[in-house]
Amino acid sequence: MKTKKWKASKELIRLFQTVGRASLIYDIQDSHSGNMALLWTEKKGDKKIVITSTGSQKGDLEPNQICFLSASETDFGYYKASSETDIHARILTSKDVYASMHCHTKDLVIATLDDEKKPNKPAPFVPIDPLGYYFLGGLVPVDWFKVPSGSPEMIRTIPERLSNHPVTVVQAHGAFSRGRTLKEAFFLLCIANNSGYIVRLANKLGINVKGLRNKIQSDPDSFFTYPPAKYLIEEEKPCDFPEEEEITREFFKAGARIFESRLSPFHTGSLSIRGVKTMLYAPMASMPREIGGPLREIPLSLDKSDSPELQIHKKIYAKSNFQTVIHCYVPEAEALSYFTNPGETEPVDRIVPVDAEGSFLYLVIPVVPQKFDFDELVRLLHDYKVVTVRGGGIWGVGTQSISEVLHHPSSLREICLYRIGALEQGLDLKKMEPKKAKRW
Amino acid sequence: MNHPSFFGHHSKILNIDLSKNLIQSKSLDPAIVEDYLGGRGLATRIFYDEINPECDPLAEDNVLVIATSLLIGTRAPTACRGHMVFKSPLTGLIGSSNCGGTWANVFKSSGYDVLVIKGKAAEPVTIDICPDEVKIISAKHLWGLDVHDTTKKLSTKSEAGKRPSILCIGPAGENLVLISSVMNDKNRAYGRAGSGAVFGSKNLKSIRVSGKKKIQIKDSERFQSGRDQALYLMKAAPITKRLLRELGTSGLLKLINIIDMLPHKNFQDNLHKEKDLEKISGETLRKKILERAGGCFGCPIACQRHTRTGDKNGEGPEYETIVMTGLDCGIYNLEAITNANYCCNELGVDTISFGGTLACAMELFEKGFLSTKETEGAELRFGNAKILREMVKLTAYRKGIGDKLAEGSFRLASFFKHPEFSMTVKKLEIPAYDPRTSFTQALGYMTSPTGACHLRGGYAVSLAFFGGTREIPRFSLLQSPIAIRNMQNLGIIQDSLGICRFTGFAFPTEPWSRMASGVTGMDFSTSRLEEIANRVATLERIFNLEAGMNPEDDTLPDRFSTEPVLVEGKEKLLQKKVIKRMRNDYYEVRGWDVFGIPSQTLLKTLKIKGRKK
Ligand code: SF4
Repeated sequence: MKTKKWKASKELIRLFQTVGRASLIYDIQDSHSGNMALLWTEKKGDKKIVITSTGSQKGDLEPNQICFLSASETDFGYYKASSETDIHARILTSKDVYASMHCHTKDLVIATLDDEKKPNKPAPFVPIDPLGYYFLGGLVPVDWFKVPSGSPEMIRTIPERLSNHPVTVVQAHGAFSRGRTLKEAFFLLCIANNSGYIVRLANKLGINVKGLRNKIQSDPDSFFTYPPAKYLIEEEKPCDFPEEEEITREFFKAGARIFESRLSPFHTGSLSIRGVKTMLYAPMASMPREIGGPLREIPLSLDKSDSPELQIHKKIYAKSNFQTVIHCYVPEAEALSYFTNPGETEPVDRIVPVDAEGSFLYLVIPVVPQKFDFDELVRLLHDYKVVTVRGGGIWGVGTQSISEVLHHPSSLREICLYRIGALEQGLDLKKMEPKKAKRW
Repeated sequence: MNHPSFFGHHSKILNIDLSKNLIQSKSLDPAIVEDYLGGRGLATRIFYDEINPECDPLAEDNVLVIATSLLIGTRAPTACRGHMVFKSPLTGLIGSSNCGGTWANVFKSSGYDVLVIKGKAAEPVTIDICPDEVKIISAKHLWGLDVHDTTKKLSTKSEAGKRPSILCIGPAGENLVLISSVMNDKNRAYGRAGSGAVFGSKNLKSIRVSGKKKIQIKDSERFQSGRDQALYLMKAAPITKRLLRELGTSGLLKLINIIDMLPHKNFQDNLHKEKDLEKISGETLRKKILERAGGCFGCPIACQRHTRTGDKNGEGPEYETIVMTGLDCGIYNLEAITNANYCCNELGVDTISFGGTLACAMELFEKGFLSTKETEGAELRFGNAKILREMVKLTAYRKGIGDKLAEGSFRLASFFKHPEFSMTVKKLEIPAYDPRTSFTQALGYMTSPTGACHLRGGYAVSLAFFGGTREIPRFSLLQSPIAIRNMQNLGIIQDSLGICRFTGFAFPTEPWSRMASGVTGMDFSTSRLEEIANRVATLERIFNLEAGMNPEDDTLPDRFSTEPVLVEGKEKLLQKKVIKRMRNDYYEVRGWDVFGIPSQTLLKTLKIKGRKK
């Protein structure tokens, strides 16, 4: 076979670089961990595996650290490529799989540790949040490997797991995912790690995770508000609104903040601003700066094909004067919404800030059940501006700007972190909550 | 029907018919408070029920309503403002004016919530309102006195133990100057649209109030939680915490220049030299003429400027005055502007409309359509600071060219056959922010119920530049109609709760909602407040249409569509098609039809009932 220089297109290099950087920003890698791969068909029809090189820093990939290997035989590229190349190569042989990714998804790893005698078959991980549950197909397999890196056992087992599940965990190491695109593979790892984080928080808060899992597994659709919309893989160009340059900029600024501040996992959540007849809508609002996401102009009137999430945006506008709406999956709020105060039997119906700024900005953040009454949601949004839906993310509204509405999930996350932190230290939250924190 | 007194209110409307010398106390129906809140909303509803919309604003059948609100008399921050509604002699439309100071609080402590004045006294009178007695007494001895002397005379006459507050007009109101104001505490004004002339037309020189009556609060804990939150947020926002106290509203001058919004020479351009602005900035004002800061009743912000130039002292100038009597007239002389401001306060003239009218006269003069023959030798040239004070006097006394200035810029420019030089919307002078530099502010001027007013029209500038988290783009067609509707609604809520607009720099409605619900025990959730605001805006519109307003007048002078200004080096103007699109979109978000008329369905949804009489 004739050798030639690797000539990745600029677009391909940029894709690896941006996804790599995003994985570091989202903190699911260490400086050199993980790898990304995709299947690439050259003009002549030759299939190539494009994969990151061994030991490369995924946050700062150089073009020559993106290796092109033959998918059908061993070639020189294998010298430089990731030590997990064989695993990826096998994953990429599955039908409709064009990308795979491996990350050190720390929260998920922690949530799946056990202290059983080895070897053993660890229990699968069952998410308790809607994103995790629906996107990961109800559970994530977990395997223990004697040699947990690039071993023949892994080469055999991991692709097999991924033929039935989008993500699989190597116990005490990390997770692998597969996708139709690299972004989808990354998306799934973000979702999985987020689910791990929520379970970790729930355990810290003394929430009966087992009980929740039982309920979810017996009837997921009544446990969650609605299944999230399917992940879009078509490369949608964000519409460029020449008339609305300033607003477009605001959207992408807010999207980057949602992602970087972990207010919602990659390409989840939604953000909109209404005009008179139409609204601008970002259906995947958590958008890393360099990756972005779609931005559409759509009519305000309801359409049968609207996703449940989009319908809520439209209905809020129909029933109010609000100008901006946000929906995010703030993991800390998700976990706290299942918290039961000591001496009580039902989970909280409000999150009470115990920090100075939070308690002045929001006396309380109402928590509503999965299948909430819509009019009640709008009423609460009028009075409190942000509401947590147990099993359904958070909704926030603004009277004027995108920046205003972004502030809600961001403040809420802080408010939750302070509460969780206080509980970790064994403090009595009831004593710390301001008396005025009533839900009027 | 008698209604028992309810929380936050004395449940009394004081009705005075000056023609019949009749004083009556009626009970206030709590249902109207639930639907229209207080202040602006309440005054608008009562006014609408009482007035013939086609009446001559300067005839005895004009009705003037001053309403307090449920927060007046509580410790809610800045809850000191009364709201006056009347038919404006300047615009022929609704006049809706708001004022701080002490009058609204003291009036409420006299045991009334609302004052309604009709008719015309046979001779100049003053109304004296105490809890035990209300009297209409002769004011012949006060007629002709300026605002400060009138206030002094009436203040000294008060009975021991009762602190009176005086509302009065100066010579401008007596002379039916269409841009005259009603003044409180000497220097606080019900400034715009000619309220002074309505007082004057009724031979009403002043209203003195005193009392010590208190209102009851239903749920103090709930009220307090809203109050704490409001105070916290006011301390957290630099404008309410520092800027307004240290520099007054004039502290905005340099800030507004950064966004190229300061008008110049009758809105011909927006170009100012840094060194010129320095001469009249808030910082210079503080160094050179400030004696002390002061505040309206119960206000922690304290934006008032008590100043001195030479041997005169007084209040001001505020940002609007500096820009309109200064920059818009090409004048950068702090002493001259301050003196003109003192003179406006003493004689009872609206500084914004005066500045806008003088700027128009200057352009007419410079372009040769007005000469020294008409001005009796005065050189009405841009930058001529010497004439400023004299022109205020001529206007207030309707002497010489002042008689024309007294009519406002639209009538002035029309008289000299060049109405295109009048920078007005619906005959009210455009205030100190150039509409070409913010779509949202432009739409606010176009759709304000009172004509070009930055307060009734929505103070969009605050959103476009220093709105903090609520900051919005300045040139968004998508966002402007809803942004301005929401801003106007916030203004209606603030005016209807008797609180200061400046609190809006720190926060919108949530804390007020808790305070209002806490005081009354009624449901004033923010969605209810929004609904009330929509109701009030629509009722104001209905009145204007009944009074003969042409929706085509929801527009801007041609200058703003044809003569661009520079914003960050780029030329900006408001093309006619942009104006039209924004106007139509605004109608739609208000639920009005394409002709700007509220539909029957909307009236039903908002539960707006027809006129009582
Ligand atoms: S901020 Fe200024 S105008 Fe407003 S109430 Fe206070 S002192 Fe009066």
